[in-house]
Amino acid sequence: MPDETRLVVEIPPDMAFAHCLAGVAKTLAERLGMGPRENLRFQLTVEEFCMYLAGVVRDGQPMRIELTGKRHLLNAAFVFAASEVALGALNITACAKPSHDGENPHDLGLLLAGKAADRFFLEHHGHDLFRIVAEVDKAYPTLPPVCPPGISRPPYRLLAEHDPARLTQAAALASGAYPAWQCSGSFRTPEKFADLVACGQVECLVAVDAGGQTAGLVAWRPCSDRAIFFSGPFVFAAGAERADIARLLLDGMLMALARTPYAIMLSFRPTDDLTPGYFEPLGSLQGSAGAGEGQQPVVFRHLREDAGLAVWYSPRIETFLRQSYDRLDMFRDLLPVEEPAVRTRAESLLGATLDRQRDLAELQPFLDGRDMALNLATHVDTIRGKGIGRILYYMDLSRPWEAALAEDLMHAGFVPKLVLPYAGKADKVVWQHERTS
Amino acid sequence: MSGLLDHIPAYVRGFERYVPSRPDAILMRQYGVSRLVRLNNNENALGPPPSAKEAVAAFDPARAAVYPSGDAYDLRHALAARFGKSPEQFLVGNGSCEVIASVIRALCHPGDAIVTADRTFAVYEWVTGFSGLASRLVPLKNLALDPAAMLAAVTGDVRVVFVCNPNNPTGSWWNRATLERFLRSLDGRAMVVLDEAYREFVDDPDFPDGMEIMEKHENVLVFRTFSKMYGLAGLRVGYLCGSLEATDVIRRTHIAYSVNALGQIAAAAALADDAEHVAATRRMVADAKAFLLPEVEKLGLEYICGQGNFLMLRTPVSDTLLYRRLMRRGIMVRTMTGFRFPNWIRVSLAREEAMQAFATALRQALDTK
Repeated sequence: MPDETRLVVEIPPDMAFAHCLAGVAKTLAERLGMGPRENLRFQLTVEEFCMYLAGVVRDGQPMRIELTGKRHLLNAAFVFAASEVALGALNITACAKPSHDGENPHDLGLLLAGKAADRFFLEHHGHDLFRIVAEVDKAYPTLPPVCPPGISRPPYRLLAEHDPARLTQAAALASGAYPAWQCSGSFRTPEKFADLVACGQVECLVAVDAGGQTAGLVAWRPCSDRAIFFSGPFVFAAGAERADIARLLLDGMLMALARTPYAIMLSFRPTDDLTPGYFEPLGSLQGSAGAGEGQQPVVFRHLREDAGLAVWYSPRIETFLRQSYDRLDMFRDLLPVEEPAVRTRAESLLGATLDRQRDLAELQPFLDGRDMALNLATHVDTIRGKGIGRILYYMDLSRPWEAALAEDLMHAGFVPKLVLPYAGKADKVVWQHERTS
Repeated sequence: MSGLLDHIPAYVRGFERYVPSRPDAILMRQYGVSRLVRLNNNENALGPPPSAKEAVAAFDPARAAVYPSGDAYDLRHALAARFGKSPEQFLVGNGSCEVIASVIRALCHPGDAIVTADRTFAVYEWVTGFSGLASRLVPLKNLALDPAAMLAAVTGDVRVVFVCNPNNPTGSWWNRATLERFLRSLDGRAMVVLDEAYREFVDDPDFPDGMEIMEKHENVLVFRTFSKMYGLAGLRVGYLCGSLEATDVIRRTHIAYSVNALGQIAAAAALADDAEHVAATRRMVADAKAFLLPEVEKLGLEYICGQGNFLMLRTPVSDTLLYRRLMRRGIMVRTMTGFRFPNWIRVSLAREEAMQAFATALRQALDTK
């Protein structure tokens, strides 16, 4: 099985091609060994997006479609020019319920495409260039946690090569030894973790003891061009040696990242095994219900000197930002932006990922619209209705329109909690929805 | 988005661009300080030798309109006279970084590799990387370059071995016997670049002189610079010396006219009268060590202080946090995570006033909760 298969095609905005592309999507899914359910969902996603976009793409302009199959997912990207798009049907809150006048408020095809995919992203470049990416995940079996190895013996060392069986075991060990909020979601399906590493989506280091037993794991992945998120360190030994293993893993990770393009390391789920002094506190977030709702720390460190940055901000969070940057000794040029007097687009669009296991929903804005305040509130209600307690919202301060949404967020009950340096095109502010009794 | 950038080589796309520090005025504004002591680049706090200062002061601004010597003719002759060699054995570059690039361009084919240490001057690895070639990085052993492991890394596709002697940033060095054994064992299988950027700071008689070594080993290229001991970092002049044959080959890939006129004049002048300057600089570095090391020991910090005008300190907090705290106090050091020394900083050894300012700021920065 190849690690990645990619097909790129340009088609005119003609619905007649949608079915052909669904066939291509089917073949790609089959070649990658996806199950029939993922295969059908991917076909549906591709066909419905093509059908919808054929109606909105600017006349005479082709659509570029990139279909990519990796070990762990199928990915369809649609690049097109359009003077205006109404993508409200892609909100997780959208449904086919007709409005009071009997009209369905959303394009049904787009609604189907949005529901068939596991997630999607949207980039808006310049005035009229869009890129929509939809992803369908491969289904993996959930494996039971693995018992930790017996007594481990020094010296400990890092493995230079990654064996899938070793990675699967390490992920299962972590899943068994640490609470869910500290673990990567893929640890619950350890074979997926091994596939993510094989594809280069995730990097990791595994420590072993003198006898070759798995003794520790640390994993990381990019969250932007300049920053990585890491999980761990996860240590599977007892006693005083835990600190040595953790330090071995962290030093290895830092050395691996030292001469990469990344400038910042961030973690929402540092373990208690983190070596003191290696990372700085960024702040904390309200914990999940399962974890006792305590405060969960968020940590970071630079990989090199911070040359400073310009960021947009709403005056509503000026004090929060200035205090955050001052506490971090981090220089930023703050550029004020006001809430727009007029919003031209009717429907806003939010991206949402939900993880019930970790009691976590994460929102990010893709398109502003006149209904943004209502859309945020509807998302909160929908997510709470699914039993998820922790709702985070990410605001990229590189985009003035995103920074200007502070007022809407506050109205919807969100509170700015911390700044993630370089986590987007610039820094991101993490907002958390405050639970009300 | 599709476009021209889709077609750039993957090794360029994946390369981390180097971001130099911003000008002092901007940094002072950013960190809210009224002065900035730069201890991050191992510059010579005494500046250039008096003869070079005079040459710079005497430079007629009208000459700025005229191209410099395209191959640093006068400077090469001055170097030849100084070291008893042919001017054709010298190749002068816009700092030794340019000469590194010329060597790699001249000696490596696509698919070739270089060997160097994992924790050494970064530019060897950078130039190799953005040239689409492979770097075989050999871990340091006891904070020094490991000759046996480096020899073992020289496989058939390796064209150049970079040996930074003394090593930046550890200050460790190979003595005459170690270097000789290494070269004999290598037996001419690859070109060896002996980078002696900090050699003038070393006064141990057992330190090998590359200019002698290269007479016995044709595969040795010696790199030196006017940026460190000679205090001309702002004018960017570095050079290599090799056999006539090797230098001739490398010159073919070297950009002519890359070294400015003022730099060539100042460098030649610096050579003419450097004995007292070298001695004074060594005294300054020794005094700085004598002052700073007890201060560091009082703070309980681990340090590495070898040869060269710098030392490294292990920090109890992340090096990048300490950098920001020191910048708030007007002191600029080099964080070492990028050198693969996580949570270490490197500090230039400079005049007493700067060392006192650093020691005070370090105490305060580490006291900050």
